[in-house]
Amino acid sequence: MSLQQTLKDLFEASLTPSPTVILFGLAFCLLAPILLHFLYSTATPYTTLPSVLLLGPPGAGKTTLTTLFERGPQQSSSSSSPVAKTHTSQVPSSVELSVNSDDPSTSYKTNLDDEGATAKKFLLVDTPGHPKLRAQSIAHLTSAEPTIKSSLVSDGGAKSKIKAVVFMVDAAALADGDALPSTAEYLYDILLRLQKRFHSRNGSRAPASMPVLVAANKLDLFTALPAALVKSNLEAELGRIRVARSKGLLDSGVGQDELAANEEGDWLGGDGSEKFSFAQMMEFDVDIDVIGGSVIGDGPGAEKWWKWIGERV
Amino acid sequence: MLDTFEILTTSGVVLWSRTYASVSPTVVNNFINDVFIEEKSSVAGAKNGAPAAENPPYKHDQHTLRWTFEKELGIIFVAVYRSLLHISWIDKLVDNIRAIFVGLYRDELTKPNTTIVECLTFDQYFDQQLRELEQAGGKSDGRAPKHEVLSEDTGDEPPSPPNHARGQQTQPGTSPGSSPNVSRPGTPSTSHLLVAKAGPVAKMSRRARKMQNTNSAPASSGDEGPTRKAKAKPVKRGRKWDADGLADEEDGVQLDYSVPTLTSDSEVEAGARPGAVEEVDASTWGSQAKGKFVLKDLGDEVHSILADADAKKSAATKTDAPSGLVGSGLSAIGGLFRNVVGGKVLTKQDLEKAMKGMEEHLLKKNVAREAAVRLCEGVEKELVGVKTGSFESINARIQKAMEASLTKMLTPTSSLDLLREIDAITSPSVTSLRKPRPYVMSIVGVNGVGKSTNLSKICFFLLQNKYKVLIAAGDTFRSGAVEQLAVHVRNLKELTAREGGQVELYQKGYGKDAAAVAKDAVSYAAQEGFNVVLIDTAGRRHNDQRLMSSLEKFAKFAQPDKILMVGEALVGTDSVAQARNFNAAFGSGRSLDGFIISKCDTVGDMVGTLVSIVHATNVPVLFVGVGQHYSDLRNFSVKWAVEKLLSSA
Repeated sequence: MSLQQTLKDLFEASLTPSPTVILFGLAFCLLAPILLHFLYSTATPYTTLPSVLLLGPPGAGKTTLTTLFERGPQQSSSSSSPVAKTHTSQVPSSVELSVNSDDPSTSYKTNLDDEGATAKKFLLVDTPGHPKLRAQSIAHLTSAEPTIKSSLVSDGGAKSKIKAVVFMVDAAALADGDALPSTAEYLYDILLRLQKRFHSRNGSRAPASMPVLVAANKLDLFTALPAALVKSNLEAELGRIRVARSKGLLDSGVGQDELAANEEGDWLGGDGSEKFSFAQMMEFDVDIDVIGGSVIGDGPGAEKWWKWIGERV
Repeated sequence: MLDTFEILTTSGVVLWSRTYASVSPTVVNNFINDVFIEEKSSVAGAKNGAPAAENPPYKHDQHTLRWTFEKELGIIFVAVYRSLLHISWIDKLVDNIRAIFVGLYRDELTKPNTTIVECLTFDQYFDQQLRELEQAGGKSDGRAPKHEVLSEDTGDEPPSPPNHARGQQTQPGTSPGSSPNVSRPGTPSTSHLLVAKAGPVAKMSRRARKMQNTNSAPASSGDEGPTRKAKAKPVKRGRKWDADGLADEEDGVQLDYSVPTLTSDSEVEAGARPGAVEEVDASTWGSQAKGKFVLKDLGDEVHSILADADAKKSAATKTDAPSGLVGSGLSAIGGLFRNVVGGKVLTKQDLEKAMKGMEEHLLKKNVAREAAVRLCEGVEKELVGVKTGSFESINARIQKAMEASLTKMLTPTSSLDLLREIDAITSPSVTSLRKPRPYVMSIVGVNGVGKSTNLSKICFFLLQNKYKVLIAAGDTFRSGAVEQLAVHVRNLKELTAREGGQVELYQKGYGKDAAAVAKDAVSYAAQEGFNVVLIDTAGRRHNDQRLMSSLEKFAKFAQPDKILMVGEALVGTDSVAQARNFNAAFGSGRSLDGFIISKCDTVGDMVGTLVSIVHATNVPVLFVGVGQHYSDLRNFSVKWAVEKLLSSA
């Protein structure tokens, strides 16, 4: 009886327009959305990992490298092969990798969880190399702080900051000459975008430098060029493209008034120099390294690339 | 037989594969390039979930590929086999494998930031499926006449009456991989259990099939699989045993069920050498009993997955009707809300109206209807099932997708650096062992589009780069054509005298065969050390067979390195037919190398002709003419074109 009475009293009290009830009501109305927001926002991870962009012509071994790094730590535990079989990519994909933050030279094969080392995580974003699909991959490089969607496959998803660019080339294909122009042209586009990024800064602060690694892959093959030769070939070819572009026709849509602005924008590297070299890009905070390696086979392996990436994330 | 079966993601990683005969990876790479990236086939690749029978088979270098694509997860299932073979059950295999794989690994496939999918256990599912289909596919099952009607080419062998003799005949031919001759006693109790188990599945799928048949015709072809398999089982029992020809009915029942379920290696081996019956029998006894339990369950699991997939499909086709007033009202409000806020999963209905608007927009930009419809269909297919981002309206999403789609279409596959190509031909590197020769370019097109004008623009560009150019007057038909070129040459000579270029006209007057003139011009240029030969041709109507046929001879005689077609930006729907006819006019081994779109300055934003011709031929646009002066020739910039096409002024 008394319980019923108290309940009844409570019910009545809750419906009377007293200050307490109004206060409670208001507090609930205002706080509930905020509480809900915090509840949901903590449930989803807020921090986005930095990413390393993997570019290059088709068939260079980008996807294979991605799978190698991803499967590396598990290699000892599972019997699966170190790399997966791959085909031409159509969409970008990203994998989450972790590098030993104390000692970046740790092999990608070591399982950091077992070692107990502090791990630094990053995303390796593999992109399709087909010419028709390139535009999307390099579209974001021009902005001062280049970002890329962490999960490009599905829409929505946090943007992740690009820390470094790995440009993969097939050193064996460069030897016979046909692949060199197309490879260099892609690299030219990328470097030009990075250079424009330097000009696009606002304020006095220069954008953070963007390291670029030219990874000369497939050195396990007999016909492959060594890294030094890859570098000189690419530099020579980039220089040739630079000259050809300056002599070539204008792009459609470029008006006369934009001519002057465009002239300096399209010249890659420092002005006045006869030959192009990667060192000229230092001026624009783009330092380029060329390191040889191989994803599969008995070549030098991929350890050097891993170390390079590890030092830069 | 099947050479390879691969399951790969759109990001290029092979998740699972089975290889029977090694196939060069270029086969699958070319398949991806042609079907998915360049969309060369008439049916674009982005078809979600269409059964393999509806996707046109892709043929490459003695191999035929049957494939299906799961768009939501981005997975391609592809089966490769020799084109010589007719494998009637291949579509079914691809479809069933898709259903099973997606059913089993859906959760793993949707994980972000990884390419690893643990599917080592998928081997047994595949084996089970393959065996079932091989056995059921080779023999025409008298009890499932429906299937015979539906499948394209059933019956490598003529249907024969269902008796013992038939079983013996067909067995070795149709399924050499499995082991029909090995007799395998098992425990009777288990097999009975299994019969009971298999019952409901068979019934269920039969019901599912009935449902399907009443529902829709296209869906039913994919659904026939489980039914057929379930039915084929009892028949299999009889056949297996008959091959030995010793057993009574009861034994037959047991044996029958063990055979279709084997997968362990030793048993497959046993199948490979059927002569050693005794030995094999003894050695595999142990594993077989164990293997049977596991695999029988597997068969059931597979069937239930397939039945599930069927049920889902039929459910999906059914629930199109709105569910009551309140429900529809609520969802409508929710839909409106989501239109504004975003995060909406797009359906065909949502897109329909917006896509119509986009189509109209493209038509207004002078894109041919054919191209506009195909572009919109492609975008629609791409967007169905996609979730919009936060605060993103449907129209914005479509705009974005259309931009990507147009960029992809207009971007050339290979580099189009003309100067570099000329250099490679006229002064080849020492290692290439090629003799230097003049680079030959010819220009074709309909009357009055500006062939001679664009030819002289290109000539001007080449002269600026200090080449020695010979212009051949290939228009031996229209009076005044040669004189017109002579004027151009005189002007160009004066303009470029300081720059160091050199130009000459090669002409043989009127009435001569154009192909012969072109050939003479090329040999003359080689003698005199010219770098580039530019050949002008007579304008011709693209639907005049007599005039077009002479182009083939022309291509054979002059051997041009590049054949460019000039197209007007002014022309509308006819541009598609023009591009197609000219592209096909040079014989089987030759096609156009590029387009020059002239008179772009006269159309403003309406540059749809670009899209129409690239859509029709997959040949890239090289240059764009934007004015009357020699210098008014531009490289084609994809970004510029896409901006113009999508701008709504």
